[in-house]
Amino acid sequence: MAFKVIGENVLRVDGHTKVTGGAKYPADLEMDNMLYGKTLRSIKAHANFTIDTKKAESIEGVVGVLTAEDIPGKNCHGVLFKDHEALCESKVRRIGDPMAVVIAESERIASKALESIEVVYEDLEAVFDPEEAMKEDAPKIHGVDNTVFHFKIRRGDVEKAFEEAAVIVEDTYYTGAVDHAFLQPEAGIAYEEEDGTLTVVAATQYPHFDRIDIAGALGLEEEQVRIINPAVGGAFGGREDLTLQIHLAVAAKKFQRPVKMVYDRKESFLAHCKRHPITMHCKTAADKDGKLLALKARIVGDTGAYASWAVNVLRKAGVHITGPYEIPNVWVDSYAVYTNNPFSGAMRGFGATQPPIAHEQQMDRIAEKLGMDPFTIRRKNLFSLGSKTATEQVLKESVPLGRCLDALEAAMNEKPLPDKDINYLEDLKAQQLKKEGFWNEKIR
Amino acid sequence: MKKSGKGIGIMFYGTGYGNGYPDVSRAKAKIDHTGRFTIYSGACEVGQGAKTALAQIPAEILGISTKDVIFDHEDTKTTLDAGTCAASRQTYNTGNAMKLTSESLKKILENKAREILNLNKEQTLIFNDHHIYQKADPSKQISFKQIAGSCDLKELEIEEVFQAVTTEMNEETGEGNPYWPYTFGACGVEVEIDTETGGLDITNAILVQDVGRAVNPKLIEGQMDGGFAMAQGYALLEDLNIVKGEIKHHNFTKYLIPTALDAVEVKKIIVEDPESSAPFGAKGIGEPVMIPVAPAILNAIYDAVGVRITEIPVTPEKLLKAIKEVG
Repeated sequence: MAFKVIGENVLRVDGHTKVTGGAKYPADLEMDNMLYGKTLRSIKAHANFTIDTKKAESIEGVVGVLTAEDIPGKNCHGVLFKDHEALCESKVRRIGDPMAVVIAESERIASKALESIEVVYEDLEAVFDPEEAMKEDAPKIHGVDNTVFHFKIRRGDVEKAFEEAAVIVEDTYYTGAVDHAFLQPEAGIAYEEEDGTLTVVAATQYPHFDRIDIAGALGLEEEQVRIINPAVGGAFGGREDLTLQIHLAVAAKKFQRPVKMVYDRKESFLAHCKRHPITMHCKTAADKDGKLLALKARIVGDTGAYASWAVNVLRKAGVHITGPYEIPNVWVDSYAVYTNNPFSGAMRGFGATQPPIAHEQQMDRIAEKLGMDPFTIRRKNLFSLGSKTATEQVLKESVPLGRCLDALEAAMNEKPLPDKDINYLEDLKAQQLKKEGFWNEKIR
Repeated sequence: MKKSGKGIGIMFYGTGYGNGYPDVSRAKAKIDHTGRFTIYSGACEVGQGAKTALAQIPAEILGISTKDVIFDHEDTKTTLDAGTCAASRQTYNTGNAMKLTSESLKKILENKAREILNLNKEQTLIFNDHHIYQKADPSKQISFKQIAGSCDLKELEIEEVFQAVTTEMNEETGEGNPYWPYTFGACGVEVEIDTETGGLDITNAILVQDVGRAVNPKLIEGQMDGGFAMAQGYALLEDLNIVKGEIKHHNFTKYLIPTALDAVEVKKIIVEDPESSAPFGAKGIGEPVMIPVAPAILNAIYDAVGVRITEIPVTPEKLLKAIKEVG
């Protein structure tokens, strides 16, 4: 079937305003009579605290300091569990936890007033290693077992397969926490509209979900809250958990004036989640022909102080640890664990990005032991039409992994691509597009 | 001494929230009194191209150009919930919702056109640039605007919903259909390593991506370049240096990400194999493009210098130490 628009290189409809500086990102927004907010964040990884804001409140130009007491509704939010406090009440669980927000006539006054807030910390035993945190006597970060989630796959008989295997490769792989490093640090503005609607303008990945948590914190109905998502300066999973939205909304409602907040890069790093650091112990077995027989994997993901998407991420890691391969015997334990580290959440790949660090090296190691090349070992095992995954899911259509590998091998050997359905963008398509005058093409 | 090596990595990625969790996208569309088409759905444009690629779907169905699609997605006051902009699910999920909505609206317009032009169901109608005409006799035509003027505008509003099909896995065995669809990809790189400094250059890079169907190849190409760069940082550079819960590298002087000077000219190959449950066969690729890159780099390092790196990032210091250890 021929398409007219699908498959066309329609120019980005938002491209022109973005490259010419016309697009409005949240930090670009200004309103009359606006106030500014600055957040006080924990410098302790695990502590009880008391806070005294009187001195800060008396500074000229400070209109108020928000603490947990000022949250009119539920002081909690979270994409899966409501384990974040919008402002910590009496306990911090990580460095960077928000404790108070100064609202002032200028950014400078707000920043300065942060220094006048008096906090007394009482240190609690902290835990930074997820293996330690899983132990029974470890400090409990949320008062319950630190193991948030345990995912299992039990397929076939791995131990028997290991006995019969020609080759076994076993190792532990570790991937660290990383930041999304999106271009635009968190920023936003909130105001009350004439009809009483509380509007929050802040870059997000899911406005309708933000609305639920913001309304909950304000004690309002969802319909009384409006989220406007302006130009978003990158996200990659880092804009799924709330950061400044509730603070803005509460301040705008309390002081009946528009309120703006802009994080600098350091605060951005403190405020949003990280990619889960994951440790993967894998034992992989194959027969003498290179056919995979078994995988036994133990995966531990550090979700830090809050769960965010830990359950979904470690579930995805558990499903994807097999790699795109048929393996008849699979045993997987995948854990998500609370610690006092920066919290982990969504990031591009969402638990599927870490496992290939392990399974793809395991494959090459098996190939080397059998004197096989990396393409051959993969072809012997890869998913194709009708394959079953380790969760017994049948791949019924659109499984062109073999074609991907064929194309890769041809390109690496500088040979023509094997398949006419494949677009070799860099060369063929680009040349063709240049010939057709694509570069001057307007939006269709 | 400079040593070079090659490595590959392949991947699969299950799209969506998964595990039977309701993965729902909604869209609403209308024709106004001027004949203009607007579609409302809360899918976010986060730089990935949703505002463009998703608008191509109604454009295809209604025979209008993409620039004539008004796609309202920024405001909860007007839009419907389209789920989170994550899990590479917007092209598939919201794309499906937009396709269903546009098709339903097209059907309404078609019925109105038949009624007004007095054409029976046997006659084929063509949609082109806000006009509908009879294929056999193009003089029999009517514009969206004329249709809008002939009826209550409420009749030209429609809302549809799409929900992905996955099932919850068995808690003890993992059995189930946790995600759908799956997207596949492969990456190959050649590296050159300076054995005296641990410095690493990627001298050749190929990224192959299954997309189901390419809605907008240039946008996919952009994702592939971005995904490669992000994975390059993940594999080789990015280290938050967290000590007792404290992020020591909290700015870009210490937390190093690839710059334009580090960017590699990636050869990008798109593989199409349309998925029947997807809009025009298109699967999401926002996350998959990143996934096979880091393992390909690690395998190339082994091929070059014979050290197996089991911990990322592989900074020059770490690589140099590992090279020295194997002698």
